[in-house]
Amino acid sequence: MERYFYLSLIPESLIASQLSPFDFGNYYAVGSQKRSRGQAIYFEVDPEQLGDTFDLSEADRRCVPHEDGRPRRSVYISIYRVLERIPLSALGKLYLTTGDGRVLGLEKGSYTPPSFPEHHLYQELCPVTPRVVSELEPGTFSHSITNEKNPISMPALAFCELSLGKLSRDPDSDSIGDLPYPNIGHLRDCLKELEVRTDKTTKAVSRGMQADLLYRMVKNGFFLGKTGELLYYPMPTHEQLEREYYEWWRSALNAFGE
Amino acid sequence: MNQTIFWIVPIAAIVSLSFAAYFYRQMMSYDEGNEIMRKIAGHVRSGSLAYLKQQYKVVGAVFVLLTGIFAWFAYGLHVQNPWVPFAFLTGGLFSGLAGFIGMKTATNASGRTAEAARHSLDASLRLAFRSGAVMGLVVVGLGLLDISIWFAALNLFIDDPNPSHKLIVITTTILTFGMGASLQALFARVGGGIFTKAADVGADLVGKVEAGIPEDDPRNPATIADNVGDNVGDVAGMGADLYESYCGSILATAALGAAAYSRTDYQYEAVIAPMLIGAVGSLLSIAGIYSVRVKEGASSIELLRALGRGINIASVLIVVASFFVLKLLGLPNALGLWGAIVTGLLTGIFIGKATEYSTSQAYKPTQRIAEQSKTGPATVIIAGMGEGMLSVVAPVMAVVVGTILAYCFAAGEVGFSTGTMSQGLYGIGIAAVGMLSTLGITLATDAYGPIADNAGGNAEMSKLPPEVRSRTDALDALGNTTAATGKGFAIGSAALTALALLASYVEEIRIALIQKGMISFELLQGRVELEDATLLDFMQYFEVHLMNPKVLLGIFIGSMMTFLFCGLTMNAVGRAASEMVNEVRRQFRELPGILSGKDEPDYARCVTISTLAAQREMLVPALTAILAPVFMGLLFGVPGVMGLLAGALASGFSLAVFMANSGGAWDNAKKYIEEGNLGGKGSEAHKAAVIGDTVGDPFKDTSGPSLNILIKLMTMVAIVTVGVTLSFSLF
Repeated sequence: MERYFYLSLIPESLIASQLSPFDFGNYYAVGSQKRSRGQAIYFEVDPEQLGDTFDLSEADRRCVPHEDGRPRRSVYISIYRVLERIPLSALGKLYLTTGDGRVLGLEKGSYTPPSFPEHHLYQELCPVTPRVVSELEPGTFSHSITNEKNPISMPALAFCELSLGKLSRDPDSDSIGDLPYPNIGHLRDCLKELEVRTDKTTKAVSRGMQADLLYRMVKNGFFLGKTGELLYYPMPTHEQLEREYYEWWRSALNAFGE
Repeated sequence: MNQTIFWIVPIAAIVSLSFAAYFYRQMMSYDEGNEIMRKIAGHVRSGSLAYLKQQYKVVGAVFVLLTGIFAWFAYGLHVQNPWVPFAFLTGGLFSGLAGFIGMKTATNASGRTAEAARHSLDASLRLAFRSGAVMGLVVVGLGLLDISIWFAALNLFIDDPNPSHKLIVITTTILTFGMGASLQALFARVGGGIFTKAADVGADLVGKVEAGIPEDDPRNPATIADNVGDNVGDVAGMGADLYESYCGSILATAALGAAAYSRTDYQYEAVIAPMLIGAVGSLLSIAGIYSVRVKEGASSIELLRALGRGINIASVLIVVASFFVLKLLGLPNALGLWGAIVTGLLTGIFIGKATEYSTSQAYKPTQRIAEQSKTGPATVIIAGMGEGMLSVVAPVMAVVVGTILAYCFAAGEVGFSTGTMSQGLYGIGIAAVGMLSTLGITLATDAYGPIADNAGGNAEMSKLPPEVRSRTDALDALGNTTAATGKGFAIGSAALTALALLASYVEEIRIALIQKGMISFELLQGRVELEDATLLDFMQYFEVHLMNPKVLLGIFIGSMMTFLFCGLTMNAVGRAASEMVNEVRRQFRELPGILSGKDEPDYARCVTISTLAAQREMLVPALTAILAPVFMGLLFGVPGVMGLLAGALASGFSLAVFMANSGGAWDNAKKYIEEGNLGGKGSEAHKAAVIGDTVGDPFKDTSGPSLNILIKLMTMVAIVTVGVTLSFSLF
């Protein structure tokens, strides 16, 4: 039976499994008895690229079929400071799983920064989970936050940009339309503070994720930054999702979150 | 000539039924799509028919029991018209038949509508609408046929040398078949309402909330039951409800006409006038049905306009045609009666528009409820209740103004003098007939809703391409609007019909007293012959006035009955939904492959659970509605019964509008947010609105619509058991 390795962002962990990425996502979301529900975001990891950072012999020992022949679903290899220890070259596709176990796989893409200035809203996913507004476009934001010379930094960060709608240009805009974020007034205040204070490029809107990430709000895709490096996983457009990944999209639209 | 003109009624019935058969065959000639589509449609069809079969078993047993009791009253105790047991049976039989045909058509049409949506929007709209028209035309066709057969048969069999008295006996006898229709309608509405909401709430709570599965997802075991519920509630239930209103309004008006014009040369004409207007209206409905079509890519407004065009054409034509019908009959004050008909039509249209205003997300009331979702579910529920209560004003005022105008038009004077009261009441009846004259097409738009809804579900589950789903979504959105306005129309027509039935109750008293051998009664002004007694004479004789405690307590109990009935049906939904929740949880637990799509859920088990729950839970509310007028009659006689009916009508009408509109507005407030307002899907506001919608489900689809039947059924029971009331009342 083939063995796979996954880097889960929620919670941060390296997992070995005999389930293929789509089966793993379904299992990870709803559990073996199908009684639990929960979103999952994970990368497929190439173990050849991991070197000796992790003790993969543990996987050889424990990630074996059950006595009745059923595949081993998950064996946790590491659960602390995992992301920073994995080289970006080891990461394959990114998988987004909905609460009821529908899985969408995203390929890596090349990132082109926007040509016009606007406000940005980032949901940090791993290793910390605050939501922040920023004047920096994703590439610059990633470099800034993973720059070890910067006092407020971390070795690596997975995050996604969320849509701000009309607020990205005008924090006072009357129309919030389909922006589902709680406490829009606070979000506006944060954006306006960035406009007023030229010394500040980023401000936290909330300290952590309290509910599911609403995939429909992901603006351009997912980013994984590491000092000087950036991986980008572009999100398909809503039209593409509707046409090509309809089951996943319907399930994603059915979620409640923030 | 006027004896001959009656035959237009059975001819119109046969034409309507022929067109229904033609539309049905036309629909069946369409392809039902690929194997998955056929399989899904097959599940819904077999579930719907299994439900109907089970319901007819229970209802059949109740009918056998009641027929036996009526036969004992008629032939054993001699306190009832001997035709009642037969009339009661045929009313139930024809209503049940209409429900069966409508359901069979709808369940055959939904898959075909989804398949037609692969090709064009117009083709799918026409297919869904004409399939809905089968229900509309079957209801009016069978209604007119039943009326024609009974009218012709009683004319033949009742041997009375006095032709005027004979007509009064015939019309009051036929009226009793309305109880069969009414009882069938109650079971269809209450049972269908419990079924549909048990399935819907169960599917939503476990599927959407617990498991996070989207609506119409084939992994949800309750999803087929949910689709079946759309048919049993909104096709069979709505059809039976309006069949009863349609027949009830025509028959009550005929009975009022026989009494109002008994001393004139126009009695026969007054009796057949409502039948003829119904007959002409059914033919004009067919013309309206043919005018419904749209171009490809039509917006929701254009789709709505297309349906509106059909109804408007039929309405304008009936306005013109009814004038000539009344002129042809030579009835006195034909212009005034025509005014009453137009008033009824306009009242129906106004109530439909008011309902749309109160429940559509395009208007302020629903948007205000949606706004409240920003502060959580509690404020959504408070706002929904508040807006729902306010929404009662327009329909009630419309019925009040419509009733006054119809009364005055028909009485031929501005005011309420006692001399023209009978004609005025006849005007109220004929206004109800006017409102329902185009039922063939208005019911088509109602029945279209669940067909489009199921077509959307079929397209989702069969994973049809996005352009097909967008067409079925457009049809479904239109169906939601027509369903809400249809409910308003059903409530309005029920109120007007119940008013006419209440007036005709007095005519039943007259006939029952005569059959008991009474010739006259003593009043303050002296002895009055029963044949000559006016409605006010009866009120005086039975002391039906507000200072009589029997009337007052009747009003209180009547008002209470509507709340008791709502409470019973709401709790029934809660219990039935719990069973569904447990079953869906069990299936997820015991068949883990369901969620990964490897195992197919046991859909039939969920249908069975909803069916059994609906049958069990509908009995207590139904029996309460049947027994209340009987016990009231036995205890407090005619004054108590009239108080009961007045109280139930007044509070039931308002409560029904409130519940239907609150539920509809909660539903559309959720849709308004889902369209991308106030945070859109997945937001806290959306979560609050979903809770509001779940609370509103039994409001708008179980208790609210069932109240229509309650107010008519209690009047019908009172009419049928008038002999028992007069013979055995204690006080």
